[in-house]
Amino acid sequence: MLEVKQLIKSLPNGRKVLNGISFKVEKGEFVGILGPSGAGKTLTLRCLNGLLKPDSGSVVVQGTDGKRVDICQISKRELRRARQKIGVIFQGNHLVKRLSALENVMIGRLGQISTFRSILYGFTDAEAAEAVAALEKVKMEHMADVRTGNMSGGEMQRVAIARAIFQSPTLLLADEPISSLDPSNARVIMKLIKPLSENIPVVGVFHQPDMTAKYCTRVIAIKDGKVIYDGDPHLSENLLAEIYGEELQQIEANKNIPALIPSEPTLVHTS
Amino acid sequence: MIPSIQLPSQKYKRKVTAFSLVIIVVSTACIYMDFNPLGFFTEFHFVRDLLGEMMPPNFNVLWSSSSVGFSFLQTMSMAFLGTLYGGVIAITIAFLAANNTMPARVVRMIARAALSLLRVIPALVVILIFVIAVGLGSFAGVLTLVVITVGTFGKLFTEIIENTENPPSEAIYSAGASRVQVIRYSVIPQILPSFVANLLYAFDVNVRAAIGLGIFGGGGIGFQLYLSLRVLHYQDAMAYICFIILLVISVEKLSDYLRRKILNDGKF
Repeated sequence: MLEVKQLIKSLPNGRKVLNGISFKVEKGEFVGILGPSGAGKTLTLRCLNGLLKPDSGSVVVQGTDGKRVDICQISKRELRRARQKIGVIFQGNHLVKRLSALENVMIGRLGQISTFRSILYGFTDAEAAEAVAALEKVKMEHMADVRTGNMSGGEMQRVAIARAIFQSPTLLLADEPISSLDPSNARVIMKLIKPLSENIPVVGVFHQPDMTAKYCTRVIAIKDGKVIYDGDPHLSENLLAEIYGEELQQIEANKNIPALIPSEPTLVHTS
Repeated sequence: MIPSIQLPSQKYKRKVTAFSLVIIVVSTACIYMDFNPLGFFTEFHFVRDLLGEMMPPNFNVLWSSSSVGFSFLQTMSMAFLGTLYGGVIAITIAFLAANNTMPARVVRMIARAALSLLRVIPALVVILIFVIAVGLGSFAGVLTLVVITVGTFGKLFTEIIENTENPPSEAIYSAGASRVQVIRYSVIPQILPSFVANLLYAFDVNVRAAIGLGIFGGGGIGFQLYLSLRVLHYQDAMAYICFIILLVISVEKLSDYLRRKILNDGKF
């Protein structure tokens, strides 16, 4: 589970970008965070795994040993330990392009092996087999030896999901995982992420209300650094207008694109 | 009213001023150095006479003298060892100087200062110091090549490290990895091809430098050339010069070919 309390973060110029964000996510939930640009969605997510330190507030997660830890209070060493069990899927471009898909997946467990071994020996054959199994879950095992730099955006994102799966996390975060993808690939990625939420809490930042309505179990809307909505993922027109304001037109325009593409794509081998 | 443009007459005045300044500087320098540009023509026969004495090159010296093969190996080894040691030291200092691999600002500043210091000392000054310190021979040559390789490539390597993509490193940090692990699995894979390509280029440069340093007491094929000129065996000297030209061209072509292969095919 994940419990966020009263996150506050100000920029050096004094503007409060996070102004008391609080929410709680249990396992079995797939929470989508929505909001206009600059509302503080990504900043919130970065606070959840300690990439960003808030001025005040707490982020409580289940640690490696089952104990609860507050990400905002712990030392650097403890933060590294806690991160071993927090999987993060970023907005593309976060794979090491010159390494193969398999190596990128195995990187997910770097924090769990000693620095000494990771430098001198690397990963074991057993770990490689597990990594291939993770790639199988996203239907990418046939490209295990291909450099990620030679892959399409959708394929890279599937490798990123495999990396998160391989990490066997107790919390999964996703920072705009589908924003650089076309609608059909976006649906593939959402369908891969959703089942992961059966065992662990999943929190993702999204820009597409139609996607969160379809796949998420709950939506949190953030505007001006505050939570303005928390509940059912199917948002009414009025609510959307309230959340997005002037940006709504653009969102509506984007929503029409998926209609051109056959719905419900299935995972296929692409090579 | 005419907008503020540069009128043709103003432009012309500027050109005339610039041209006269260049003339003044050049002629002052010539007068001051007692350098007569006409000397190019009046003294040219000396060059022609020397070239005449050098012809035909005595290629026999290349295989009759046993020291030539040894000198060739000595020059190549000097360049190789200078590149290897210099490269390793340059890479080490570069990691200490780059802001994405070394968090301590003091260490970064010291590393950068060391690199700047090594860069500003001319190679000929370095070899003179080393020849006095460790004596004539290829050891002094290797040490000099190490210093100039670190000086030339240290800063470049620092910039290559700093220009690596940060998002992959961030993702690895997010999985709980340590700084050393991030360097090993994100930074090094990204920098490897350009490092290898630059070290090949460094070897190419160092072969040429090693020949030049030989003349100043570094040993090798450059020293052979120097000796034959001192004992007035001009035809031998011409053979050495031909050999050196051939050597430099082949090393350059080889390093060019390998570099292009590495950067384009991305086999590393």
